[in-house]
Amino acid sequence: MLKDVTIGQFFPGNSFVHRLDPRMKLLLTLLYVVALFLVPDFWGFLVIGALMGLVVAFSGISLRVVFRGLKSLIFIIVFTAFFNILYGGGEPLFPGISWLGWLKAEGVRNALFMIIRIILLILGTSYLTYTTSPVMLTDAMERLFRPLKVLRIPVHELAMMMTIALRFIPTLIDETDKIINAQKARGADFETGNIVRRARALVPILIPLLISAFRRAEELADAMECRCYHGGEGRTRYKVYSFSWRDWVALALMLAALSLIILMVIF
Amino acid sequence: MAKIIEVSQLSFSYPEEDGNPSSPALHDVSLDIEEGEFLAILGHNGCGKSTLAKHFNGLLKAESGSVKVMNMDASEEQNLLEIRRNVGMVFQNPDNQLIATVVDEDVAFALENLGVPYPEMVQRVDEALELVGMTKYRHHAPHRLSGGQKQRVAIAGVLAMRPRCIVLDEPTAMLDPQGRREVMKTIRRLNREQGITVVLITHYMDEAVQADRVVVMGEGEIILDGTPREVFQNVGLLHSLSLDVPQTAELMFALRQEDIKVPIAVLSVEECLEVLEKMLGGAKK
Ligand SMILES: Nc1ncnc2c1ncn2[C@@H]1O[C@H](COP(=O)(O)OP(=O)(O)OP(=O)(O)O)[C@@H](O)[C@H]1O
Ligand SMILES: [Mg+2]
Repeated sequence: MLKDVTIGQFFPGNSFVHRLDPRMKLLLTLLYVVALFLVPDFWGFLVIGALMGLVVAFSGISLRVVFRGLKSLIFIIVFTAFFNILYGGGEPLFPGISWLGWLKAEGVRNALFMIIRIILLILGTSYLTYTTSPVMLTDAMERLFRPLKVLRIPVHELAMMMTIALRFIPTLIDETDKIINAQKARGADFETGNIVRRARALVPILIPLLISAFRRAEELADAMECRCYHGGEGRTRYKVYSFSWRDWVALALMLAALSLIILMVIF
Repeated sequence: MAKIIEVSQLSFSYPEEDGNPSSPALHDVSLDIEEGEFLAILGHNGCGKSTLAKHFNGLLKAESGSVKVMNMDASEEQNLLEIRRNVGMVFQNPDNQLIATVVDEDVAFALENLGVPYPEMVQRVDEALELVGMTKYRHHAPHRLSGGQKQRVAIAGVLAMRPRCIVLDEPTAMLDPQGRREVMKTIRRLNREQGITVVLITHYMDEAVQADRVVVMGEGEIILDGTPREVFQNVGLLHSLSLDVPQTAELMFALRQEDIKVPIAVLSVEECLEVLEKMLGGAKK
């Protein structure tokens, strides 16, 4: 079940999107998120949706993978929708039926709006990590944010932490699965009972997981030192990047979409 | 032959926990490792094998005594990078030593740290992957490989540094028989063909007999040191250290206890067969 979590995973490939410069991809994703939050109405989502469609089509990674990943986030989506409906104003959606009085037009509209926004947000950021290896991604961050070093922000260290976190997500997920099965075999019950009971049932999973994560961290630190890791100073990089025509095409499309949305906001 | 690692009168204790003084993990250990040899280290759980290994490249600092690697003192901070470049280390769990999510990016990690320029880096990554026979998998994600393959990637990550010595701490302990064979074959080939010094810590006797030299540890001290043939003669002593001996040596030991005159250290099945045939009166078909 946990194997379905695909967030932060990388699927190697050689598609148009894979071959974009990671720095450009990072920048595009930032612009995408900005555009997404500027969207004033449902028409705006059409623009963003079209853009996302292009990414999906030219990445060689099927939407199914993403939706499998989305399933694990269903809780956040339902939660958002619920509160938007609850606190939405406006006219009741079904004026005749009294017990549906809490369902207001404005609330439902807001809920839908938020759900689409969240899904598009997850899609956009997922495709960034699906098509960019963590090393490249953090490399790109390190390069893009290098100027921040002047402000004494430890850019290299943060990037390295990200690399390792992304690298260990699948390992820790496998491990969680194993622990859950081991506890189930001992008669633990994670599927029935109220929220408090279920939350309490998680304790025997989290503690072994935490302990093993610390042990792993210690071993990893040794392994990194053995391979001469000594911070960011004097490091060279295995990947060299240069912008190609693909990057400029992608940037042009993104800027076009962004301008369209800005126009929508203004008019 | 030149000595690559010289350990003399090394003692070490881990810091005490909650005021309980811990007994020393290593006590007065002296050991010289020759350039180009294949050394196996045996010993029961907790006898200090890993602790000793971590002194070979300065992960731990000698408390008393000294460790010298290629005539450099391993407790001097400024020697560490040069020592670690020359003495690579591979650990038991491949999942905890791979840093990147693509095989070739992981192999390049040490080279990035060493500041190797780009074109040379590509060449050395290729070379290292070739040496462990993983070239085909260079663009794969390590967490989808088999245990034996992961461990070979870990070895390649060390080989990329072009070390003179590789220390492997139970590299096959988590592998299935197939993975164990792959890794052992790789290790032996590196030793024979590339002349890389190999220090192999293991619990498997069939791996230890493949070495040129076997060191047996117990309670933080070196108890036996010699060729596999010499070491496995001491079946009684090894048993008292709760260690196995190769099955053939075990058989000879049992026969000798019945007062049957057979040689002591017989390490291969063929050799054992020969001895048994002779014993049964040369009953050749
Ligand atoms: N990080 C540590 N902190 C405190 N004590 C430790 C630590 N690591 C090992 N020890 C102790 O030091 C002694 C030697 O441990 P070491 O790991 O070197 O043994 P080992 O021979 O490698 O055993 P194994 O075969 O289980 O790997 C043991 O008694 C162990 O409990
Ligand atoms: Mg050990």
